[in-house]
Amino acid sequence: MTQEQIEEFEPNIIGFLCNWCSYAGADLAGTSRVQYPPNIKIIKVMCSGRVNPMFVINALQQGADGVLISGCHPGDCHYQSGNYLARRRMGVMRSLLEQMGIEPDRVKMTWVSAAEGRKFAQVIEEVTAEIKKLGPMKQFRREQKW
Amino acid sequence: MVDKELLVKTAKKIVSREDVKYVVGYKQGTYGFVISPSFAYTPEDVDNFIYNPLCKKNLTVYPILEEKLPLRREEEEDKRKIGIVVKGCDSRALVQIIQEKGLTREDLVIIGIPCKGVIDLKKIEKRFPNQTEAVNVVETDNAEYILNISGAVQHIPKEELLSEVCKSCEYPNPTIYDFLIGEKIEVGEVPEYSGLKNLDETPLEDRWAYWEKHFQNCIRCYACREACPLCYCKTCMADMLEPQWIRRSVNLSENTAWNIMRAFHLAGRCISCGECESVCPVNIPLMELNKKLEKDVKEMFKYNAGLDTKEKTLFGTFNPDDPEEFIM
Repeated sequence: MTQEQIEEFEPNIIGFLCNWCSYAGADLAGTSRVQYPPNIKIIKVMCSGRVNPMFVINALQQGADGVLISGCHPGDCHYQSGNYLARRRMGVMRSLLEQMGIEPDRVKMTWVSAAEGRKFAQVIEEVTAEIKKLGPMKQFRREQKW
Repeated sequence: MVDKELLVKTAKKIVSREDVKYVVGYKQGTYGFVISPSFAYTPEDVDNFIYNPLCKKNLTVYPILEEKLPLRREEEEDKRKIGIVVKGCDSRALVQIIQEKGLTREDLVIIGIPCKGVIDLKKIEKRFPNQTEAVNVVETDNAEYILNISGAVQHIPKEELLSEVCKSCEYPNPTIYDFLIGEKIEVGEVPEYSGLKNLDETPLEDRWAYWEKHFQNCIRCYACREACPLCYCKTCMADMLEPQWIRRSVNLSENTAWNIMRAFHLAGRCISCGECESVCPVNIPLMELNKKLEKDVKEMFKYNAGLDTKEKTLFGTFNPDDPEEFIM
């Protein structure tokens, strides 16, 4: 992609944020008026461990160019171990995507606590910039034929 | 070479026990190189049991897929055991199923066979097409198969017919068994799975081109699922309508989603029997995905599937020090 195309492309990013830390972090970013790119569409889940790998695949099929999963910091999970389990799953998911030739960086994961509004904005900026560089997801987008 | 008489004798002894319902083994199929499963309910049924290098089928699918009908009033559950003939990889599937509490060890009587590798049906059928009569295959000690095809005796090097997964088999000996037929095989250095090497070096775009070509062919017959000893969920996500995880239409997008789902569900569980690949009607190299995940899981989490029945499953446990270099 040329530099111009990268700048013009507005990626669609789906964010799965956990109810207890990351969603509250996003809330804090909002209430403290921190600016961040509008490319992310947030879906609240109760825990990052709730995120089924098929959520990620379905998001990529239906129009997302990237997926961000965000949970509590290791050890801080509201359900003790949900984020550890999610980390394992997403690590394996990424290596599977890589083997299939789909850029593994489309699936991102991060830890954001309820107090880190600023970090949340920063994370979104980073993710958006990275997905912008990767360009639109074109491998297995679902075709709408009607 | 597995002693057929000993196998039949052992199976007879097991099937005549009070607490055993039936024994599953191999018998000669109806044509060509095909081997069928044989269910022996009486000692006489055992007489057709065989074991030769054509016995690739993983029999562990049968006890786990057996339908259990709801009980009538005052009817008691049939708690008798099931006898089963297993090779090295099949026994690991059993360990994995027991680990996941699909079966209990007490449900099973296991006849283990140390396996020197089995023949890939696709390879042998390509070499001898249109073979309709049953063929007996014998393995010699100097890595050769002796085939007796309509009177003509053929010597074929083992390398040419051996399944790809068997070439990189690390566990030829059964990991659990009650009776062992034959002697344990010593395992030396094992070469890496051949399919992995060439893919690891290709750039990302070429990899997708490779898989796109294969996934486009997929007809979503779900044969890979049916043949897999570890795909035994009562309701598969692929069959669900609410929510509909993958749509019914057969196109690249849904086929890719299905194949990702299948491969991911087997991460840390696949025991590399190669059944999915050998039943695939359009020859998708599914084992390349499974083997890659097996290798990565081993590297990242030091986890090996199907060795210890007491071990916890890969995604049911965690380690605070798991790799997290991908986390921002």
